[in-house]
Amino acid sequence: MMKNLLKSVLFAALFLPTTMLLHSCKKTTENPGNSTDNFDRGALLSNYTEGYIIPAYNNMENKISDLQSKVALFASSPDSASLSAVRLAWRSAYITWQGVDLLEFGPDESISLRSYFNIYPTTPSKINANITSGGYNLEEFGNKDAQGFPALDYLLNGIAGTDSEILSYYTTDAEAAKRKQYMKDIADKMLSKINAVKIAWETYKTDFVNNTATDANSSISIMTNAFVLYYERYLRAGKVGLPVGALTGVATPEITESFYTPDLCNELAIEALNSIEKFYTGTGYNNATDGLGYKDYLTTIGTKDNSNVLIADIISSELAEAKSTLSTFSPNLKQGITSDRTAVLNIYQQLQDVVPLLKVDLISALGISITYTDNDGD
Amino acid sequence: MTKANKALSKTYLEQPIPSAALAVFRLAFGLMLCGGVIRFWLRGWIDELYILPKHYFHYYGFEWVQPLGQYTYLLFFICGISALFFALGLFYRLSAVALFISFTYIELLDKTNYLNHYYFVSLVLFLMIWLPANVNLSLDGAMKPTIVRKYIPRWTTGSIRLMLAIVYCYAGLAKLNSDWLVHAMPLKLWLPAKNDLPLVGSLLNYVWVAYAFSWFGAVYDLSIPLLLLNRKTRRYAFVAVVVFHVATAILFPIGMFPYIMILSTLIFFDSKDIDRILMACKKRLNFITVANGKEMYTFAPLQKKALRALFICFFTIQLLLPWRYLLTPGELFWTEEGYRFSWRVMLMEKMGYAQFIVKDSSTGKQIAVNNADFLTPNQEKMMATQPDFLLQFAQILYNYYSQYGMSDPEVYATVYVSLNGRRSTLYTDSSVDLSKEKDSFRHKTWILDFKDKIYGL
Repeated sequence: MMKNLLKSVLFAALFLPTTMLLHSCKKTTENPGNSTDNFDRGALLSNYTEGYIIPAYNNMENKISDLQSKVALFASSPDSASLSAVRLAWRSAYITWQGVDLLEFGPDESISLRSYFNIYPTTPSKINANITSGGYNLEEFGNKDAQGFPALDYLLNGIAGTDSEILSYYTTDAEAAKRKQYMKDIADKMLSKINAVKIAWETYKTDFVNNTATDANSSISIMTNAFVLYYERYLRAGKVGLPVGALTGVATPEITESFYTPDLCNELAIEALNSIEKFYTGTGYNNATDGLGYKDYLTTIGTKDNSNVLIADIISSELAEAKSTLSTFSPNLKQGITSDRTAVLNIYQQLQDVVPLLKVDLISALGISITYTDNDGD
Repeated sequence: MTKANKALSKTYLEQPIPSAALAVFRLAFGLMLCGGVIRFWLRGWIDELYILPKHYFHYYGFEWVQPLGQYTYLLFFICGISALFFALGLFYRLSAVALFISFTYIELLDKTNYLNHYYFVSLVLFLMIWLPANVNLSLDGAMKPTIVRKYIPRWTTGSIRLMLAIVYCYAGLAKLNSDWLVHAMPLKLWLPAKNDLPLVGSLLNYVWVAYAFSWFGAVYDLSIPLLLLNRKTRRYAFVAVVVFHVATAILFPIGMFPYIMILSTLIFFDSKDIDRILMACKKRLNFITVANGKEMYTFAPLQKKALRALFICFFTIQLLLPWRYLLTPGELFWTEEGYRFSWRVMLMEKMGYAQFIVKDSSTGKQIAVNNADFLTPNQEKMMATQPDFLLQFAQILYNYYSQYGMSDPEVYATVYVSLNGRRSTLYTDSSVDLSKEKDSFRHKTWILDFKDKIYGL
């Protein structure tokens, strides 16, 4: 018995270095650029913080600040010039938001910019009731769908059919003053919230970068979960799946994003997808840096599909495919979900194809735990 | 002729050995379990795992095991107290039975929390009920000196050793597959995730380290029982046990398991040596009761016969159960039909994603399910990769939506699963109404084929 054991130990001792040697040869020929530095989660987190998160919040704050001043200007002198100025600022800030929405973790987990910025569909009856009563509290849960970009969309674009009619709501209408105040309150709320998140990140970022573990509370875990959840629920479902009724079979155009400005909704979705791509690759918010991102980490881990293609590359190509289908789609999604439902369902399917790749393949390869409880890995 | 001498003439299994080893094992095992219960309690897991969830995943055939609400705390209290009494050897038989029942009941509540080491604990406790573990170093003995015995038959500690040997050997056999040995999976994924550990962390980035761990793990599991049994190698083997389990404790979130295993392997040490240590302790700590005569514990003839039959049945089942997967077609890691209760530990990085749709069968109206509305994150994770969980969740959804006015709901699931770093693929036939499928030990035909091949056991 002992002899056999000795034999098998010897066999293992011989086999082991051989396997390793074979493997390392294979590896160097296949991926000559691989370096274990790509496993440096500290560097990855630092790149996400400095290269994406901080610049994204800075830019968002600038855009909201501009929006807020344009709203104030419009409120003090509502005319067609100030109306188009505030619309322009709104549009630009709304597009910028698409690159920030995926960051609901860390300080923003408790603040939740999304609740103050982009809960749609908005509820005009609630907005109007608030304006009439004047005694509203935008912090209340019940008012989440009466503020942010969607509420401004209604107030700037949806309240009446023509620009002159819209302007009359801010000039001659009995509640014009209250309505202007409501707009200002919405913009102020947005500014104070983005400001709070931005400031919180300044102090939070050190802890964030230093927490290089992979347990349920680690930086990489909360960031990845927020990223994947955003993609699945707010991009795939919120922007396309729910309106087109991919899972229910019933199209509901009234729940599309930027409902009163349908020509914008495709652009918002494209920008959202663009941001997902940027974040995935780690190229940085302004495309300025090419630091470590999920893609680099995944490439180093080296998981592949049956045809030997890196899963890191598959995610890229699936995202690119969805983006190109979405970019070339016309008319706008709001109209398209009824007039060309099959094509929108196809966009949905392409967005859907990425979900398991992110939710399963990416998270699995990163080795992130989801709970604190004991686990023996089966 | 003394009793001991008489006993010497008996068969090998009946030979007397000092009762010290089994008593020390009882003490260590009971204290670990008591500590485990306290740890569980302090971490808030009683609430999190057994009170807060809205639904529980029952084991097949154990649907009658129901959650107890706030009384779960009482259950854990009983479990903890009986573990303490068990350790002290106080009302031993009663506390052993209470500990076995309460511990096993907790484990049966929700298979989401299945862990091989919990199963191991239940099995050992079952064996311990029948063994004379309180005839030495026990409060029972202190209160009633007539029950104290210096010797017990060899098969008593032998059965605990056999149980441990089965655990290690089957854990080792399960590692003899191509994913583990040829691809170093899943350690290749898990080790880099721990590369921020001090000192050894950076080593974990290297693929060869994953291979070294995999191979060492397999050789360790397969050889450690023999090395522990052999007097010459025992010491080194115990060092290996400590190193191996401490390493796993550092690298993986496996709780008490490493420490339970380290202490359990003490049963392999020569009972005579442990007896000598106990006698030495007795000199310093006079209050402890250590057997000092020559008496041997004897079972009544009928009892002996019954126990022999029981233990033979028990170990036959233990030896056969891990092979039951051979009765169902398909890749075991993929279907998990026959995966549990087989000492398959740390073999898979498996992750899934399940989107359920519930459809009213008369109106055709359908809705998409948000799993998190029904399940905890851990339950959702387990549900998305295991067919029997998928079926139970479909049943939960069926009941829920029937109650809320859907007529005879149909439940469909689109499930993607990734196994050991392979690309995720469709796991089940998404056109099958899962609410109409029944769970059984037969192969579930709605599981789609595994798109790759894993060689080995």
